[in-house]
Amino acid sequence: MDNSDLDLIANLKNEKTRDLAFNSLVKKYQERMYWHIRKIVMDHDDADDVLQNTFIKVWRSIDKFREESSLYTWLYRIATNESLTFINSNKRRSLVPMNDTSDFLMNNLVSDAHFEGDEIQLRLQEAILKLPEKQRIVFNLKYFEEMKYEAMSQVLDTSVGALKASYHHAAKKVEEYLKSRD
Amino acid sequence: MDELKKIAPELSKIKKENPFRVPENYFEDFSTRLQMKLEEEKRGSTKNHSRIIQFIKPALSLAAGFALIFMLAYWPLKTLTPNQQASKIVTETDESDMLYASLVEGMDENSFYAMLDDNNGTVQFTDDDLANFVNTNSSEYEIFSETEN
Repeated sequence: MDNSDLDLIANLKNEKTRDLAFNSLVKKYQERMYWHIRKIVMDHDDADDVLQNTFIKVWRSIDKFREESSLYTWLYRIATNESLTFINSNKRRSLVPMNDTSDFLMNNLVSDAHFEGDEIQLRLQEAILKLPEKQRIVFNLKYFEEMKYEAMSQVLDTSVGALKASYHHAAKKVEEYLKSRD
Repeated sequence: MDELKKIAPELSKIKKENPFRVPENYFEDFSTRLQMKLEEEKRGSTKNHSRIIQFIKPALSLAAGFALIFMLAYWPLKTLTPNQQASKIVTETDESDMLYASLVEGMDENSFYAMLDDNNGTVQFTDDDLANFVNTNSSEYEIFSETEN
């Protein structure tokens, strides 16, 4: 863990400096967390909700953070869990019957006014949305965010070997989808 | 990257760019909006806490009222009236005993003795019953003077 994060944690655990430290934490990590969440929930407004919930959860549970992992992997972990909880609860509330999560997320992507990708990008996102939930998260973290497997292992609580295999399978499936639509 | 080229050549050809956008000034405003939500959250948790207290308050007042009544009325009465327990025991006699006693006590002495002499009578008395009757209706002096005669 870098020194600035250690200082940040110390200040977050001190009641006198908590507010200021929390503000610094939000400024430092909001963009990374946002893009991670956005790639899971797809829609901007949903990502905004989940990001707020993530930071509120961080605020509530900062005293429980035991510093066994780095601050940013802890944040990623909370953000991932919040995103998945959001998707599952929204899927249950949806009036339109959805076959699986990918249908729900594809709807989100198509209706999102803030998606500006070209046709190739849209196809790539479609291919990613077809992946099983965990493979999709692994693929996003590796392909777009270039996260190291060791860090990913802490975020997703999965062994490095399993993550490598998961990424390999995901990349193959995306490739097949891209080829099938050519 | 080389590994990706091997397993997914089509994918590796796609330019890695972020196709998603955010509204203008989104990140600049985010912490302010979050701060507002956190304040609401803090107020909400205080409100919830006071709501629970508001809900429990009437029940607690009622319980405290009963406890006070017990302390001020029942307990002093109980401790200041020692005979209460004895009278309670007297009143807790068997109902059939009460009926029997009231029948016997309502008779004059002649009818009572005539009833004792009547062997065909439907009511049978044991020696204990008789002793009880004599004990309750005659003083020790009367019993003594009767036995002397």
